[in-house]
Amino acid sequence: MKRFSLLQLLLMVFVLLAAYSPAFSGSLDPFKNEKGVLKISGGTAHIPVMKEAAQKIMVVNPEIQISIAGGGSGVGIKQVGEGLVEIGNSGRKPTDEEIKRYQLKLYQWAIDGVATVVNPKNTVKKLTKIQVIDIFSGKIDNWKMLGGVDRKINIYTRDETSGTREVFWEKGLDKGAIAPSAHVVVSNGAMKTAISQDPYGIGYVSVGHIDKTVVPVALDGVVPTIETVRKGDYKIARGLFSNTKGDPVGLTKKFIDFLSTPDGRKIIEKQGFIPVR
Amino acid sequence: MKLRILERLTVLFSWAAGFILLAAVFLLLGYLLVKGYSSISLSLIFGEASPLRALLLEERVFDGLFPAIAGTLVLVILSIVWAIPIGMATGIYLAEYAGPRVKKMLDVFFDVLSGIPSIVVGLFGFSFAVFLHKNFSDKIGPCLLISSIALSFLVLPYIIRTTQASLEGIPRDIRLTAIALGATQLQNIFLVLIPKSLSGIMSGIILAIGRCAEDTAVIMLTGAVATVGLPKSFFSQYEALPFYIYYISSQYSTPDELMQGYGAAIILLLLCAILFSIAYGIRRGLTHFAFYRA
Amino acid sequence: MKKLGELFAERVFLLSALASSSVTIAILVFMVFMGFPMMREGGFYQLLLKPWEPYQGSFGIYPMILGTGAISLLSLVFAFPLSLGCSFLITTIAPKPVRRGFLRVIELMTGIPTVIYGFVGIFLLVPIIRELFQRGSGMCVLTASLVLGIMITPTMTLFFCDSFDRIPRTYLDAADALGASHTQKLLYVILPSARKGMLSGVILALGRAVGDTLVSLMLAGNSVRVPESVLEPARTLTAHIALVIAADYESPEFRSIFACGVVLYLFTMAVTFLVRYVGFAEDRNY
Repeated sequence: MKRFSLLQLLLMVFVLLAAYSPAFSGSLDPFKNEKGVLKISGGTAHIPVMKEAAQKIMVVNPEIQISIAGGGSGVGIKQVGEGLVEIGNSGRKPTDEEIKRYQLKLYQWAIDGVATVVNPKNTVKKLTKIQVIDIFSGKIDNWKMLGGVDRKINIYTRDETSGTREVFWEKGLDKGAIAPSAHVVVSNGAMKTAISQDPYGIGYVSVGHIDKTVVPVALDGVVPTIETVRKGDYKIARGLFSNTKGDPVGLTKKFIDFLSTPDGRKIIEKQGFIPVR
Repeated sequence: MKLRILERLTVLFSWAAGFILLAAVFLLLGYLLVKGYSSISLSLIFGEASPLRALLLEERVFDGLFPAIAGTLVLVILSIVWAIPIGMATGIYLAEYAGPRVKKMLDVFFDVLSGIPSIVVGLFGFSFAVFLHKNFSDKIGPCLLISSIALSFLVLPYIIRTTQASLEGIPRDIRLTAIALGATQLQNIFLVLIPKSLSGIMSGIILAIGRCAEDTAVIMLTGAVATVGLPKSFFSQYEALPFYIYYISSQYSTPDELMQGYGAAIILLLLCAILFSIAYGIRRGLTHFAFYRA
Repeated sequence: MKKLGELFAERVFLLSALASSSVTIAILVFMVFMGFPMMREGGFYQLLLKPWEPYQGSFGIYPMILGTGAISLLSLVFAFPLSLGCSFLITTIAPKPVRRGFLRVIELMTGIPTVIYGFVGIFLLVPIIRELFQRGSGMCVLTASLVLGIMITPTMTLFFCDSFDRIPRTYLDAADALGASHTQKLLYVILPSARKGMLSGVILALGRAVGDTLVSLMLAGNSVRVPESVLEPARTLTAHIALVIAADYESPEFRSIFACGVVLYLFTMAVTFLVRYVGFAEDRNY
């Protein structure tokens, strides 16, 4: 009888195991016997990940219903604190006051950045930090001052509950003012749509959301991509959090745990973020 | 002949106005149809699921409009269920029982109600939901139930007004015939007056249905969300067609999603056009029918 | 026994009527109640005059009031001539078959949902305005007013036509007997007599324009500054409610939207009373 070397044995076991487990079943097993409703709201940057995860779960178990709404990080924190939703997403770390008031438990599952973006037709693709601060405060108000066409700069900003706005304001603008004449949009998706439709617009959006429709602006020489965020070269970075009121139980806990499984991490990566944990 | 010039100008002006308005409407509809034509297909509604299984609720639809359409339908039915009894009863009261002073006072209330912006009604619904959530039960929040109640407030004036107007429009001799034969007021109302004014009341109801189907501001604040699937209970959140259109228009992430938005807009337009034509047909047809029967 | 049933039914109807009318009051009460802490602190009057700068602690809705005023009044400027002309066409100027067809089209237009106007506006009109005027982003007071104007024109037209129809036949017959042409009849008999009715129509259309949310939410840019020209973005009271609703439930931002609600509600009441007054005055003439 031939003697199998340890290596061959291991190889055989591995092949057998691989053949017997279809790609996703492992991570989604905990959901098989659950039922109920899971309400999620908050940060708009999180929405694509939430949607895909929810879809996978609902396909495996149609008894589960997961509802996803946006509203911005502020909304997520407030609504989970008030008990209106089970998971409140935020694109910024909740403040100590918020954590204490709502007894929040935080789960960071990704790293993301916030990039300044312009329309693909725009010739201005590099800016210094000072320039960005001046643009958003309204001091520089024409593209020709930056080497572009002679048109007024249309500033797009987010509403006050946005975590993306908070991070950009703190780290990108050094808490500088944003001109009151700026257009206000309500989500990362809306920012992308607005900028992609306005050749003279400038705004800021989550790095994970950037696609062909908008062009990220290099800040002090560093182009914002998820790689430069990971390496730490691009400084405007933030975590993506899912928060619950108190310790999560049941379906909520399983959903949050799912985000750290290999399948969950795959989804996070696919949507353009860096999985953490 | 300055006067002649004025008259000529008036004619010119009127035709220009008519032309501009028509051009605007055709531009609007044409643009939608041209852009959205290619998106009309079963997969617009059912995504990747098979239509039959989705309709039988066996398969979940993720990329299609089916949940939004279903949500709108359920919402409209619920709102009408709340609005019709109270609206008709109020209309009956106003037409048959109320004295002139009471009528005048109530008239003011309903005029104000019909003029309140829909977003204020939505705000009311939202704060009502929060109020219930804080003081009664943790499970209540913005949901299908709250939305339908808020929507019913919005369309209540329509139903009240049309019921009242139709009842008041019945000629005196018909009104008095049954009474002369010994019927009570109640019998008169239910057996004679309501059937006679049914066409008016029905067209009011259909208009209310149309109003519920197209409204966005109220549902935006009281429970419509972008993604949830079919509504499972009165207390669940839901998707709706007009909200979907609004949502897509401001944040579409792929050209496909935008196409879906166009398709949704066309479907909503069709829905409203059908409802409107039905209301119109009922008004015309039933009176025609009644005329030729009598 | 029958009497009891009758009485019961009457009570039920009365109750419904009371319930419906109390909804109207309940809405106002809720608005005031929820916004009260803020109004008490800052004073309601102050709230109306301050700008919106949450980071500076200023939660005034003044820019929104101006935004609403600018957009609705401008939309009236567009809608009034259009409605006037169309109602002329329908009542007198156009030949009979055209009249009916046109009326049909206008009635159908009243059924078009607002969200569709906004949707087409974003993709069709905004780029046009941006390129035509070479300024701004296309999302501005002008765009919103144009679309809003088109939206309220059908309602105003139908209202005008209705007022024209109410003119006593004797007036019209008198004009015909004197040999007036259609247009002359229109200008010199119908218009002056229908003045009050038309005024009601304009006021109601203004009410509708002020109360609209989606068109300005989608097309006017939603900036927090008072617009300095029609090509600048602006925010209306209604859009403000829709945007801020997402905030938390105790913050001053959140309470400010109830102040918006109260302002809108008071405006509605003003419109209602004004129309009744004008209508009443007209009734007295006949």
